[in-house]
Amino acid sequence: MLNKVTFVTKHYVRVVIENKPYINDPEGETILKDLISKGGYTSIKSVRTAKMLSMEVEAKDSKEAETIVRKLCDELRIYNPVVSNCRIEVLDTLHVKG
Amino acid sequence: MSLTQEEFDYLKNELKRQPNDVELSMVEAEWSEHCSYKSSKPYLKLLPSEGKRVIVGPGYDAGVLDVGDGYVVTVHIESHNHPSAVEPYGGAATGVGGVIRDILSMGTRPIAIFDALRFGSIEKSSHNKWLFKNVVRGIADYGNCLGIPTVAGEVEFDDSFERYCLVDVASIGMGKKEDIVTSRADNDDYVVLAGGSTGRDGIHGASFASKVLEEENRSAVQIPDPFLEKLILEATMEAIEARCVKAVKDLGGGGLSCCLSETADKIGKGINVDISKVHVREQGMTPAEVMISESQERMLYVTDGTNLNNLLSILDKYEISYSVIGKVKDHHNLVVRHNSHVVADMPASLVANAPLANRIAKKPAYLEKLANVNKPSIPKDLNDALLKTLSNPTIASKRWVYQQYDHEVGIRTVVKPGYGDASVLRLDNGKFVTFKLDGNSKHCYIDPYNGAVGCFAEACRNVVSVGAEPIGMVDHLQFGSPEDAEIFWTFVETIKGISNYSKVMNVPCVGGKVSFYNETDNGPIKPSPIIGVVGLIEDASHIRNSIIKENDTLLIIGLTKDEMGGSEYYEYIHGITGGNVPKVDPSLDCKVMRVMLDLIKNNMVRSVHDCSKGGLAIALSEMCVGGNIGIDATLTHVPNECSRIDDLLFSESHSRFIVSIEEDEFTSITNLLEKQEIPYGTLGKAQGNSIRFTYNDKNIINVSVDKAVDAWANTLERLIEHG
Amino acid sequence: MKVGIVVFPGSNCDKDVHHVLRHVLHTDAEFVWHKRESLNGYNAVILPGGFAYGDRLRAGVIAAFSPIMKEVKRLAGEGKPVLGVCNGFQILVESGLLPGALIKNNSLKFVCRWTNIVVESNRTPFTHALKPKQVINIPVANQEGRYVADPKTLEMLEHNNQIVFRYHNDDPNGSANGIAGISNEEGNVVGMMPHPERGSESILSPFGGNDAVMIFKSLIDYMDEQK
Repeated sequence: MLNKVTFVTKHYVRVVIENKPYINDPEGETILKDLISKGGYTSIKSVRTAKMLSMEVEAKDSKEAETIVRKLCDELRIYNPVVSNCRIEVLDTLHVKG
Repeated sequence: MSLTQEEFDYLKNELKRQPNDVELSMVEAEWSEHCSYKSSKPYLKLLPSEGKRVIVGPGYDAGVLDVGDGYVVTVHIESHNHPSAVEPYGGAATGVGGVIRDILSMGTRPIAIFDALRFGSIEKSSHNKWLFKNVVRGIADYGNCLGIPTVAGEVEFDDSFERYCLVDVASIGMGKKEDIVTSRADNDDYVVLAGGSTGRDGIHGASFASKVLEEENRSAVQIPDPFLEKLILEATMEAIEARCVKAVKDLGGGGLSCCLSETADKIGKGINVDISKVHVREQGMTPAEVMISESQERMLYVTDGTNLNNLLSILDKYEISYSVIGKVKDHHNLVVRHNSHVVADMPASLVANAPLANRIAKKPAYLEKLANVNKPSIPKDLNDALLKTLSNPTIASKRWVYQQYDHEVGIRTVVKPGYGDASVLRLDNGKFVTFKLDGNSKHCYIDPYNGAVGCFAEACRNVVSVGAEPIGMVDHLQFGSPEDAEIFWTFVETIKGISNYSKVMNVPCVGGKVSFYNETDNGPIKPSPIIGVVGLIEDASHIRNSIIKENDTLLIIGLTKDEMGGSEYYEYIHGITGGNVPKVDPSLDCKVMRVMLDLIKNNMVRSVHDCSKGGLAIALSEMCVGGNIGIDATLTHVPNECSRIDDLLFSESHSRFIVSIEEDEFTSITNLLEKQEIPYGTLGKAQGNSIRFTYNDKNIINVSVDKAVDAWANTLERLIEHG
Repeated sequence: MKVGIVVFPGSNCDKDVHHVLRHVLHTDAEFVWHKRESLNGYNAVILPGGFAYGDRLRAGVIAAFSPIMKEVKRLAGEGKPVLGVCNGFQILVESGLLPGALIKNNSLKFVCRWTNIVVESNRTPFTHALKPKQVINIPVANQEGRYVADPKTLEMLEHNNQIVFRYHNDDPNGSANGIAGISNEEGNVVGMMPHPERGSESILSPFGGNDAVMIFKSLIDYMDEQK
C-alpha cells in the first residue's frame, strides 16, 4: 500500500500583540510627546506600541497556517488576554524589501 | 592586516616560516593593543602589587584580596568604550557581562557591580544624551537580570568626550580561599567551550578597539544575553563547589584565540583543539572567523576525565550549550584543527606575548600654557554660583541613574547609593566591604601626574569616609593614541603618580586595564585614569554615612589651598581650563586618613563626607540636602591658604573631610587633631531651612534648602526626561 | 515544617528568601528546582523574585508553564500558603492562580527604591500577625510592577477583601487602586511586588526598621498553628 504524501508549503505569519484600549500606553505617549511632537512633526496625532513576532510556518495552506498560529497564541499565552489583543496576519513573505 | 611590519617580521622569525591566514588573524587579535598591552606593559610593571592581603595580583582575570576568616574578595575592571560609542545599550551591557565572567573565572561569586561613565555635555547635545540614557539602560538591564546589585558609580561630563563615551564597569566577588581557581592542568585534560553559540559578532572587535573610531563600524557590535549569562554564572558556581573544574576562563576580546593562547601560556602547557566541534550559530564560518569571533556569554572550562561528566551534567541542568573542543597536551603550542586539518600551530607563549612597542614620550607643549591662566572675576551672585554648581550634571545627584539599578538584590547592601561617599556591602564573615571608583579628566588634562594621584587619593578618601581601610586598588587607564608622544607622556606620568602614592599609602595594585586609542574626529579624550579602591570594614559599628541631622555640629578637617585648576567651578561656571591643579601630599594624606579612621573607630564622629568636586561649598551643601536641614556656617575658621572667597568655597584641595559630631565630643576630637598637627575648623550647626555661609560676619551665601534640594536632586531627571 | 522556595532558571532572590527563613527566623527552608515534579513534604511554597527565563516575551509567562507549577497549583488548591514576590507574583498571575496582570511601570524604567505599604487584609497566612492599616517600610525593584485588571475584576477584589497591600502615600508604578499585593478568593495565595526579604533586617533599612519580617513570621506562626 502506498504511503499517503502530504505536500506542505512555507507560510509567513505575523503576530501583533497590542495593548487593549483601556490600558494606557505610556511608551507610545512618551514617543509622541517627547520625541515626535518636539521634533516638529505635528501632523502625528497618536502613537501606540505593540510587540511583533514573525513566524515561518509549514502548513498545507495559508488558512491552516493561520489556525495553527492562533491556537498556539491562545494555548501558550503568547499574549495576555487580560491586557492585550492579538492580531494574526498571513503574509506573502516574511521579509519586507526596505 | 593590523600587524606592523616589525610585528609581522618578528612573528615570521619566531615561527621560522610564513604564518598562514588563520594564524595571522589569531595573532592580529591577540597582538592588538587591547589584548596585549604592548605599549603599556613595561610601565605597568612599576605599579606596586604586593601586600599582606594580596593573594593574586595583576595579570590574572581578577585580583584576589584576603579579608580574613578564610574569605577572599576579588576585583576586576573593564571598559567597553568603542562599542558603547557606536551602540550604547549593547556595548555597555556586554561590558558588564565581560567583567562578571572575569570574577567568575577566579572561582568567586560576583556580589556587586560598579560603573564609571564619561560623556560629552548632555546640556549641549542630544547625541550625548542618547548615549548616556542608553548606556545606563544597558547596564541596568544586564545587571538587574543577573541579580547582581549595581551599587555605586560616578559620572563625569566633559567636552573632550563629545560624541564618544567612556564606559568602565567593575565588579567585586566574594568566596572562600580554598575555592579560588588556580588554573593548573595536566596532559589529556579536556577543554570545554560553553555558553552562547559562536557567530560573526564582534569580528575585529579587539583590533577595532585599537583603532581610532573614524566611522560607525556596526559589524563590531555585540548583542547582550543576560539570561544566558545568569545560567553560566550559576552553572560555574555549581561546578566550582563540586570541584569539577581545574581552570575557568572567560572569552572576551579576541575570542577563542586570546582565551586559548592565554590559558595555555598560563598553565605552561599546550592545547589541541578541533574547531569544527565548536557550536556555531551561522553557516559557513571560516576557521579564522571561529577563532576571533567575540560572541558573548562564553566560558572555557578545563577538567579531567574523572570530572568531565559531572561538569557536563551541570551544564545540562541549566540547558547551556557546550562543545568539548580539545585537550591539554604536554607540548607548548596552540594547535588548531578543523576536522582533521591543522589550520594553525604556534607556540602559545608567542601568541600570548606580543613584542613590546617602543613608544616615545614627550612632554606636551600645551601644559605650559595651561599652567598660567587669569583668575576670573568673583561672581556678584554667589548664591547663583552655588545653585548652578549643584545642578552641574557632573555634581548633581545621580539618583536618576541608580534608581534604575537594582542595588538591593542579594541583601548585602547596607549603605546604599545616595547615602554615603561609597556603598557598603556585608560579607559572610561579619565584616563589610566597600569599593569606590574615581576619576577626574579635567584635573588629569591640566596636570597628568597630580591629577592621577588625586583620583587615587579621592577613591581612598571615599572609602575611609564610610569607615573602611583601603586594602587594594585596580586602575583603568584611558588615553588617546599611544603613538602620539605627548599622549604617551601623560600615560607615563600617570603611572609614576599612581605608583608613588600606592607605595606611601601601602595600597597595592591588584589588577587593571589600559585602554588606548580613545579618539574621534574631534581629537583624543583628556587623559582619564579611573582608580578603584577596595576598603574593608572590620565591624558594623565602624560604618558611617554622610547624612546629618538637626543640631549636629559640623567641623572641617584639612587645609584648603588656592588650587583651582580643573575645578568644576572654573570649568563649568567660568569656562576656564587651566591653573593650579590640586596636589596631594601623600604622607600628609596618609596621616589624615589614619586619624579619620581612628576618629571613626573610637566612635567620635557621627557622619562623614569628603571634599572633592565643587569643593567645600558643595560638600557642605550636599550634607544639608541629604539631611534636608540647613546650616548657619562660618567660613572664618576654615584652615586655608586662599586669598579670595570663591577660591575658599570651590577649591578642590585634597585631604579634607567634613564631619558631624555631638557637641560633647568636641574637645576630645580637637585634642586629637591638634596632637596630630592636623588643621581643622568649626563650621556651625545643622539647623533651620537655609544654607548660609558667612565670613568674618559678612553674608556670603544664603539659599533655601528647598532650592538647593531642587537644583541638586532634580536636575538630571529634568535634563534627560523633559529637556 | 518546611517551606519550599522554587528556583527557576533566572530566579535571583531565592537565596535572599532562604537567608531570612533559615538564618533570621530559624525555619526549615529548601530550594526546589523548577523541574521537580513533586512538592510533597512542603507546608508552604514561595516563588521568589528575579528574571525567570530572562522575562522573555513577558515576565513570568514561560515560568508559568514549568513542570513545578502543576504542583504549586495543587498545593494552592489544598489551601496551603503560597507567596509570590515580584517575579513570583508575575508567575502566579500568568498561571491563573491570581487575577489581573502586571505590566510596565508608568515611568517605563526599572525602579529600585524604598516605599511604604499599608496592610489591607490580615486574613492571609502572610499577614495574620499584622494589624489592619499597619504601615510597613519596604523596597520595590522592578520594571513591570504596574498592576492592572478590568473594572469588574478590580471591583471583585475590593469587595472580597482580596487586596492585601496598597502603596501608602506613594505611587512607584501606576498600579490600579494603588495595589501592591493581592490574594486569591480563599486568601491562601498571595502575590506582592515589594520585596519583604529585603526589609527583614534593620541593618538593611535606610530607616533602621525591619517591619517586613512580620510577613514571614506570620507564615511561620500560621504553619505552627496548622500542626
